[in-house]
Amino acid sequence: MQEPTVFIVDDDAAVRDSLTLMIEQAGMHVQSFENAKTFLNAYQPNFFGCVIIDVKMPGMDGLQLQEELAWRKILLPVIFLTGHGDIPMSVRAIKGGAIDFLTKPVIREKLLICVRAAFTEAKKRLSDATQNREITTCLTKLTRREREVMLLAVQGHSNKEIGSYLGISYRTVEIHKSKIMQKTGANNLLDLARIARESELSE
Amino acid sequence: MNSTVKNLNFRTVFDAAADAMLLTENTGHIVLANPTAQQLLGYSADEMKGLAIEMLIAPRYRKQYRYYQRLFLNRPVKRSMSVGNELIALNRDGKEILLDISLSPIKTGQQLFILILFTIANRRLDTEDALRSSEERLRLAKQAAGLGIFDYDFKRNIIYWDRQMRKLWGKHSEKTISYEEFVAAIHPEDREARQAAIDKAMDPNSNGEFKAQYRIINPINGVERWISARGRVYFEAGYPHRLIGVTRDVTEQRNIQKKLQVHRNETENILKQQVAACTASAIAHELNQPLAAISAYSEVVLHALQNDSFSADNLKRALEGCVAQAQRAGRSLHELLAFLQKGELMTERSNLTDVIHGALSIVYNDGYGRFHPILHLQQNLPAVQCNRTQIQKVLVNLFRNAIEAMRNIDFPILTITTTVQTVNDKDVAVVIVQDNGPGFDQVVAKRIFEPFFTTKPSGIGMGLSISRALIEDNGGQLWVDSDAKTGAKFHFTLPFGP
Repeated sequence: MQEPTVFIVDDDAAVRDSLTLMIEQAGMHVQSFENAKTFLNAYQPNFFGCVIIDVKMPGMDGLQLQEELAWRKILLPVIFLTGHGDIPMSVRAIKGGAIDFLTKPVIREKLLICVRAAFTEAKKRLSDATQNREITTCLTKLTRREREVMLLAVQGHSNKEIGSYLGISYRTVEIHKSKIMQKTGANNLLDLARIARESELSE
Repeated sequence: MNSTVKNLNFRTVFDAAADAMLLTENTGHIVLANPTAQQLLGYSADEMKGLAIEMLIAPRYRKQYRYYQRLFLNRPVKRSMSVGNELIALNRDGKEILLDISLSPIKTGQQLFILILFTIANRRLDTEDALRSSEERLRLAKQAAGLGIFDYDFKRNIIYWDRQMRKLWGKHSEKTISYEEFVAAIHPEDREARQAAIDKAMDPNSNGEFKAQYRIINPINGVERWISARGRVYFEAGYPHRLIGVTRDVTEQRNIQKKLQVHRNETENILKQQVAACTASAIAHELNQPLAAISAYSEVVLHALQNDSFSADNLKRALEGCVAQAQRAGRSLHELLAFLQKGELMTERSNLTDVIHGALSIVYNDGYGRFHPILHLQQNLPAVQCNRTQIQKVLVNLFRNAIEAMRNIDFPILTITTTVQTVNDKDVAVVIVQDNGPGFDQVVAKRIFEPFFTTKPSGIGMGLSISRALIEDNGGQLWVDSDAKTGAKFHFTLPFGP
C-alpha cells in the first residue's frame, strides 16, 4: 500500500512551513497548499492520508472546503486548524465529518496523535471503499434472474415460494442459488444478505 | 308753596322717583315697589307685592345677603350708595343685574320698614365679569398645566402659595408657610443647588430669573416628587423684594428621561464592548499566526535536540523561522498600536503603481474569487508620500469588497485608475477602484463608512471605516460615488512626495 501523506491547507506561509518540518521530522510525507483552490486543482484520486485545513482562510474557507471535498466524494479525513475554536463552528465541522480540531499554537504530541488516528481512518475508508467496489463488481456478474432470486432469498423466502413467485421450478431455484453463492463468494445465506445490503449502501 | 309741599304725600314722591325704590318690612318682604323698580326688574306692582327680597338676588349671593340682612337689622342705620353696597339681582327673565343700593330704615311705632334705593351699575358688572372670566381662565389653565403659584416675601420670610402647591407639600390648610418650613420638605441633596439658584436670582446685577429642579418629600405619605420651579425676583430700590413664580410636578418626565438615559448607557456599553471585542480579536489574529509557527518550529528543534535526529539544515530553517516570526509578531503589534494610538506614522516615497500591483497579487493569490482587472495607471506618476503597508491594506480591502460584490456577475471587471487632480491648489494622486457589480443606493452610500455597518452576512463592518482612517492618516481622502448604475466606485487621494 502507498505511503500516507499529510496535506496542509493554510494561507499562512510560516504556519505551513513549521508544521511541514514538524511532520517530516516525525517521518511522514507532507505536501502543503496556500489556499483551497490550489489544493483542489492539485488533487489526484491517488491522494492518500489526511488533510489539515485552516478554518479561517480568505476566499474559500475551511468549512467550505470540507463541503467541497464531501461533494466531490474525496475520502481524505479532515483535521481542522483554528485560531480560537468557537463552538457553533466546531459543531458544524464535526457534523461534516471532521476527525478532530487543533487549536493554534499546535502541540506536537497532539498533532501526531491526531494525524496517526486520521491515517488509520483513511486506511479503513480505503478498504471499505475497495470492498464495496468488489461487492459491486461481483454482483454485476449475476444474471437478471439470479438477482431476482437473490433479492427474494435474502428476504427469507423458501425455495418453493421463490419458485412459485417467479413461475419456475423448485429445482431451478436451487441451481440459481448455488450459482449465486459461487459468483459472490458468500459462504451462506446470512453472508449473502450482508453483501446485498452493502451493495445497496454503496449504490 | 308750603301747603303744596304739605300736600305731597309719601306715595306720590315714591312713585315719581327716577331711582328705583322698594319698601320692605323687616322680614324682607316687599310692601311697595315704585314704577322705576318695577320696570327695572320687569315685574308688575302686584307681582312684587309680598315678594321676598331674597328672591330678587342671584342664588349664589343669597347666603351673603342673609348675613348682611341680620347685621343690618341688629343695627339699622342709613347706608348710602357711596358706601359701596352692591348686589347682583335677577330680573324677571333671570338676567343678572349689578345694582348699587342704599338702605334707609324707617321706624313707625313698633314697625320697622326699610326703604331700598337702587340704580343699575351694568357697565361695572361687565368689567367684573371680564375680570372674573379671565381669573377663571387663569385658574383653569393653571389646573390643566398642573402649575402651582408661589410668592416668596423676602422681608417677612414667608411664602404665599396656592392650593396646588399646598397639596404637593402636604400642607392643605395653611395659606402661607414660613420659608424654613417650606425648605424642610425639599430633599436634602437638592437644597444647596436650589438655594444657589435663588441667591443668583437675588443678585441685583442679574436679571432676577430663577430656575431650579428639586425633589420634595411629602411629609404625610413620604412620596417623593420632582418639582420644576421657575420665577423672577422683583427688586425695590435695588433690593430683592419678592420672588414670584410657578412650580410644576415633573416626576413623570424625569422618570422617562431616566429610563432613556439607562437605555442609552446600555447601548453605548454594547458598542464599547463590541469595539473592545473587535480590537482584541484583531490583536489575537495578528499574533496567533506567528505564535503558532514559533511554537511548532521550537518544538521541532527541541525534539531534534533530544533525539539527535534532524539535519543541520532543517534545524537552521526552524530557528530562522522562529526569529522571523517573532519579528513579524512584533511588527504587527507595533502597527496595530500605532493605528490605535494614532502614533507617529512612518511614510516614505512610494511608487503607486507598484503598490497597486502588490495589492493585486495578494488578491490573486488568496483565491478570493475571479475577476478581470483593467488598469488605467498613469505613466510616470510622481512618487506619493505614504505608508506603503497601510495603503496596500486599503487597496486589498477595496479589491476584496469589489470582487465580493461581483460574485454573481458573468464578466466581473475591476477597473483601477490612477490620475492627478488639483485639490486646493495642490496636486494630489487619485486612485479610483470601480467594479461592475450591483452597486448600492444612497442610503447605503451614506452609511458605508460607519463602523460596524455592513451589508455582508458575516462581515463585522470595520473594513471601510478603518480604510478611511488609514487614508486620512496618510493625508488623503476616501469617498464613494453612489451613482450606482455602473457599480460601486471608490476614490482616494494621496499627497505627492517632496
